[in-house]
Amino acid sequence: MLEPFSSPYVQEGLVEILLLSVAAGLIGSWLVLRGLAFYSHAVGTASFPGLVLADGIGFPAALGAFGMAGVFTVISSLLGRARRSTVDSVTALTLVACMAAGVIMASDVFSSGANVDTLLFGSLLAIDSGDVMLAAASAVVSILAVLLLAHRWLAKGFDEGAAGSLASGSRIFDFALMAVVAFTVIATLSAVGALLVAAMMVIPAATVRMVTSRLSTLQVGSVLLVAAEGTLGLWLSVKTDAPPGATIAVVSGLVFAIVAFARAVRPSRLVASALALVALGGFAAGCGSGDDDSGKVKVAATTTQVADFVAQVGGDEIDLTGILKPNTDPHEYEPRPSDVEAVADAQIVFQSGGHLDEWADQLVDDSGSDATVVNLSADLPVELHGGEHDHEHEGEEDHADDHADEGAHAEDEHASEGAETEEGHAEESEEHADEHTEEEGHAHEGEEIDPHWWHDPVNVVAATEEVEHALAVASPENADYFQQNADAYVAQVKQLQRQIAQCVKAVPAGERKIVTDHDAFGYFTNRFGIETVGTVIPALTTQAQPSAGDLADLEETIREENVEAVFPESSVSPKLAEALSRDTGAAADYTLYGDTLGPDGSDGATWLEMMASNANNIVLGMTGGERGCEFEVS
Amino acid sequence: MRSADPKIDRGEPAVNAAHTTLGYGGRPALDGLEFQLPRGCRVGVLGPNGGGKTTLFRALLGEITPLAGRLDVAVRAATVAQTDRSRLDYPVSALDVATMGSLARLPWWKRPGRKERARARASLAEVGMEQHARTGFGDLSGGQRQRVLIARALTTEAELLLLDEPFTGLDTSNEQRLERLIDELGAAGRTVMIATHEVEQARRWDLVLCLNHTQVAYGEPREALTRPVLEATYGEHIVEIPGEPELGVLPAHHHDEESPASEARSLP
Repeated sequence: MLEPFSSPYVQEGLVEILLLSVAAGLIGSWLVLRGLAFYSHAVGTASFPGLVLADGIGFPAALGAFGMAGVFTVISSLLGRARRSTVDSVTALTLVACMAAGVIMASDVFSSGANVDTLLFGSLLAIDSGDVMLAAASAVVSILAVLLLAHRWLAKGFDEGAAGSLASGSRIFDFALMAVVAFTVIATLSAVGALLVAAMMVIPAATVRMVTSRLSTLQVGSVLLVAAEGTLGLWLSVKTDAPPGATIAVVSGLVFAIVAFARAVRPSRLVASALALVALGGFAAGCGSGDDDSGKVKVAATTTQVADFVAQVGGDEIDLTGILKPNTDPHEYEPRPSDVEAVADAQIVFQSGGHLDEWADQLVDDSGSDATVVNLSADLPVELHGGEHDHEHEGEEDHADDHADEGAHAEDEHASEGAETEEGHAEESEEHADEHTEEEGHAHEGEEIDPHWWHDPVNVVAATEEVEHALAVASPENADYFQQNADAYVAQVKQLQRQIAQCVKAVPAGERKIVTDHDAFGYFTNRFGIETVGTVIPALTTQAQPSAGDLADLEETIREENVEAVFPESSVSPKLAEALSRDTGAAADYTLYGDTLGPDGSDGATWLEMMASNANNIVLGMTGGERGCEFEVS
Repeated sequence: MRSADPKIDRGEPAVNAAHTTLGYGGRPALDGLEFQLPRGCRVGVLGPNGGGKTTLFRALLGEITPLAGRLDVAVRAATVAQTDRSRLDYPVSALDVATMGSLARLPWWKRPGRKERARARASLAEVGMEQHARTGFGDLSGGQRQRVLIARALTTEAELLLLDEPFTGLDTSNEQRLERLIDELGAAGRTVMIATHEVEQARRWDLVLCLNHTQVAYGEPREALTRPVLEATYGEHIVEIPGEPELGVLPAHHHDEESPASEARSLP
């Protein structure tokens, strides 16, 4: 019964949720009594510009969030006072202003990275000591605030009109309430994620509110209900291997629904309790964990591509868990218990590197794992730097020249490569890689590399070898087996590379121009001599938006350069690409795989398939749909 | 009529208005205020909606300051809002509501304690609600809620009570009860101002103040409530009770549904 609570990361999650239940229950009661549920949601969302600033200037995200929440609270209070409007309308107004400021800063000031909007969203299964301290602080603050100010909040909420004459300074007390709400929301957000804020603060208090007519019962009952639902949800999430935040939210919603139903129908208490038990029992049913200790090396991989490389090399002799699933946006990822367990038990964690999975280090730390973390982008033969950011610093023309040279260079290289024998090929490839490292790598020393390295087959060869080394160290008895797998896979990768090079080469040099949806394809275009004349989204975060001027420039470029196609990416909304397509006549029909592989059964389920599909679509796009590439991919 | 009662007029007046203009954001809403309220009197405040009754109350509570002239309030004032302004769904008992009045005098870090609860109980007793102390506010009748809100004002130790249309929605027996309570509060030395539309009721009290963006009249009802005054107060919207032209003059918009006035003819 209690075995889900035996692992340390679940115990830490339990401690966190019990600590948070104090603030969530107490302050949640007041959210419900004073109609501040929307405000509590908004203050979390409105912290976005604080995160952009923190990311852009370089201070801790939590500080940015707390600062912004403070600004939000002050502005809403002042506006509410000046306009004498309802809390909700003022909150909505302030929220829109904050989000707009954030989007402008992310788009035009800092060119923020893709992770800014998720810097703050923690998970109950990845709790560190800072989260626990924050939860404890919010518990203390909320207890003090309620002890001192609850009567004033009650008097004001009970009778807004008369409050002014009955108690002086009621505005200050209201401001204090909003400030405490903001503090609790941010503390909860940064520890357990956005979903849990509503699940822990609003729903339980609203549930208790239905059955009590006493303030003290409401406050204490809400704390107890949050703690109970949190504990039950955590237990269920381990049992069913669901994300804990979502599970707790479902439990809270279910309890609320049952209580509301029971109040509406008014069945006997016995029936109501039975109903609740049946519902929870049904929810818990179908769980049961099969523990297989096969003795294989336990390995975890962060992204879908990395999992594919590891699977190709490790074959049947490893126990692999891929953490990101296909079609999961890496930025909205919340680890499941099995993911944390996989990381906790793993001997090696393979990481792609860069902003795509920088949460992996944290996950390893928080899970108490002593796994070796292998960052595959640490030592790549081909490293490109920056996205749009760097390109802006280079002169436009230099940049274009670079690409033209590169294109010619790659073309020669691969033409000869295609004709090479198998033996000569490896050398060629390495030589080639060195050139690139010198050309591109040193020019931007110290800057963050573009993390989409796997779009260049040369990097994939190197990564495959790195995977093979790491596995051989962890499991020496299988070293030969890994070596064989790696060799076979490398051969396939190189064969595909040659085929793509040939296929691209058939397109006249002047027509090898594309516009992509964001900067994920630099490695591909660099390798195969294609010029990226523009990208649709200027910064990497999806919260950023291109300005009208940017779009106009891009359309101008597309027309001038006779670009045939704009390529939307599978995981990004194609709307902008489609708009460009309508305006310029360039096709937007060919979707590329950028950040993740496709799901099983799609034409991009493995790296080889993904590469083949991208190459085919890019060539189709460049030739106006006249011809694509046909590959034999096994 | 108790207007000549010797206990009313003693010493410094509770409120003294001299050439007072009130308004919001520099724009006058009510001017020409010129009156002195003796302590312990019951004052009916008459006037149409928007005529300045609420503005006067807010100024007496100190929420707005006069634009011109002076308005001296020598005693603590407390408002008794209409019951439908308060939340019936709040988890509060009658005693909790009465206790809220003590917050006005407590420093911000103090919670109401035993002493404040005892004071609140005394207030409830004063309005005849002590036996309902534990009842949830939302479970009380309209008249009972009205009395609990008066108890809340009493708990603030206010000597000037501002009742905002307290008779709205009360049935006859509760109306009589509230009238008795107002008499008792006055007899206990409290100054009570009652904003109302009911001219007939105002005749029972010691003084009337008629407002229509300006002070139309102030004085004892029998002298102040003349037809010209009522016409100036309510404009043309006056009806006359048939057969009693001297006595029954009522504002039409308020009573045309629930009183005999609905059968009355309009004045030309």
